[in-house]
Amino acid sequence: MASSTIEVAPLPLTVERAEAMAQRQIKKHHVAIVLLHWFNATSWLLELSTGAGLIVSPYYRFAPVWYLQVMEGIFGSRANMLRFHIAVGLTWITVFLVYAIFGFRNYLRIEVVQHEIGLDNDDVEWLKVRTLRLLGKSQDVLPPQGVYNAGQKMFALLVYGAVPLIMLTGLIMTFHWFGTAIVAWAMVLHFFTVGMVVSGLMIHIYMGAVFPEEKPAFYSMITGMVNELYAYQHHFKWWREVKVQEQAWRERIIEQEKLRAGAAGEPKEPAPSESPSVPKERL
Amino acid sequence: MPRYAMVIDQERCVGCQSCTVACKSEWDVPNGGARTKVRQTGTAGQFPKLTNSFYVSQCNHCDRPTCVPACPTGATYQEASGIVRVNRDLCIGCGSCVAACPYGARYINASLGKVDKCDFCASRVEKGLQPTCVTTCPGHAKIFGDLEDRSSDVFRLVYRETARRMESSTVAIGPNVYYAGKPEHAELALASFAPVPPRLIAPTTVWRSFLNKFVYLAVGATFLGQAVAFFHQLSSGEKQFEE
Repeated sequence: MASSTIEVAPLPLTVERAEAMAQRQIKKHHVAIVLLHWFNATSWLLELSTGAGLIVSPYYRFAPVWYLQVMEGIFGSRANMLRFHIAVGLTWITVFLVYAIFGFRNYLRIEVVQHEIGLDNDDVEWLKVRTLRLLGKSQDVLPPQGVYNAGQKMFALLVYGAVPLIMLTGLIMTFHWFGTAIVAWAMVLHFFTVGMVVSGLMIHIYMGAVFPEEKPAFYSMITGMVNELYAYQHHFKWWREVKVQEQAWRERIIEQEKLRAGAAGEPKEPAPSESPSVPKERL
Repeated sequence: MPRYAMVIDQERCVGCQSCTVACKSEWDVPNGGARTKVRQTGTAGQFPKLTNSFYVSQCNHCDRPTCVPACPTGATYQEASGIVRVNRDLCIGCGSCVAACPYGARYINASLGKVDKCDFCASRVEKGLQPTCVTTCPGHAKIFGDLEDRSSDVFRLVYRETARRMESSTVAIGPNVYYAGKPEHAELALASFAPVPPRLIAPTTVWRSFLNKFVYLAVGATFLGQAVAFFHQLSSGEKQFEE
């Protein structure tokens, strides 16, 4: 068993190991995901700011009148603002449709989604400890996490539930699908689902952009990479998965080398027993 | 600034529906919808003292329109001249205003997916023309004009004679279509086609009564949560080396 040399639970790190880990970068996000994330963020910013300016009925308006006037001034008229809102929305839907079709195998298969954002017992415990630590009420160690921590998983579940509804209700209103009564309900559902995502966004933006312990996660959304120390401390289960893959990759290389050496008729041994000390500088 | 109004003389109206047809062709109104139509009250009273009346229904361009606040996007709005109009670029056809109108003056144009109603032929009025129903009416039962103009026929009929609004004890929002003729005609029309109190559609009620509060609470709670964490972060200071 090659993976048996990799620890199954986080250990206290020696200074040398921690320093070496802090220097090594491992890949967290594919470039497509990085681009999609910032496209999505921009779309949300534009859609939220124009959407708030489009709800003007005094029965449920929430933006102040001066905001409505500012937005109308920027766009020239509310009708233009609606056109812009629809144009950005349709682009957003199209891009995610393309993502869903071409990225399905990698990101959206049920096993992948289950593995990445399904909550387990560690996650429930993590949510408790995380909240208490944020409030300064606990110093407990956070349970090991997968590629996404429990907070990110909760937000992802909310988004996975809300976004299809936001898209559908938006399309219903844009194209007057299914008639008047459905359009009226779509309006309310659009507001509600967006509201739920915004409530999650409050935490998402703070955790991603401001909270000091998660700073590497923020930079990983730009470079795609995190350092191994951060991965070890914050996403141990994922770190282990990466290490197991790395081990398997090494063994494959060694195997190939052996075969090649055998084919060339060279009797020299490539020392397979030394696998843990094979080149460190891979990832 | 003009203040437009219409007077309909129920004694002159013979229920020929010329106005209905003229309006339909002028504004491409599809079957099943109408910006204006003539409704019959049927006969009332005891023989030999029977009465009958025609009630021309259309948008009343009310002083305190209930359809305007009901519109979520502001597609329905009132001009300074009093004309209540629909901006089709903003209308999404949700039907909020249809339910809010006590006079049933609005319909959803199925081919456009947007609401439609009488706008006093605003585009004609802007050019100095009369609304198309007024020019078509063979009995001159429809009179259109400016209530600010003391020499106008509508001013005379409304302020010097007895043209009345179709208001009831429960619905009085200042309609600007007045009805002239014998008082019993107007009484009969009002009895047969009394304005219904404005309604909010169910989604609006759900939205304003609890859904918006729920969303504000959720957003407020998470905002407060991160604010507390943020102040805790600020007060404890940032370290050179995290963990």
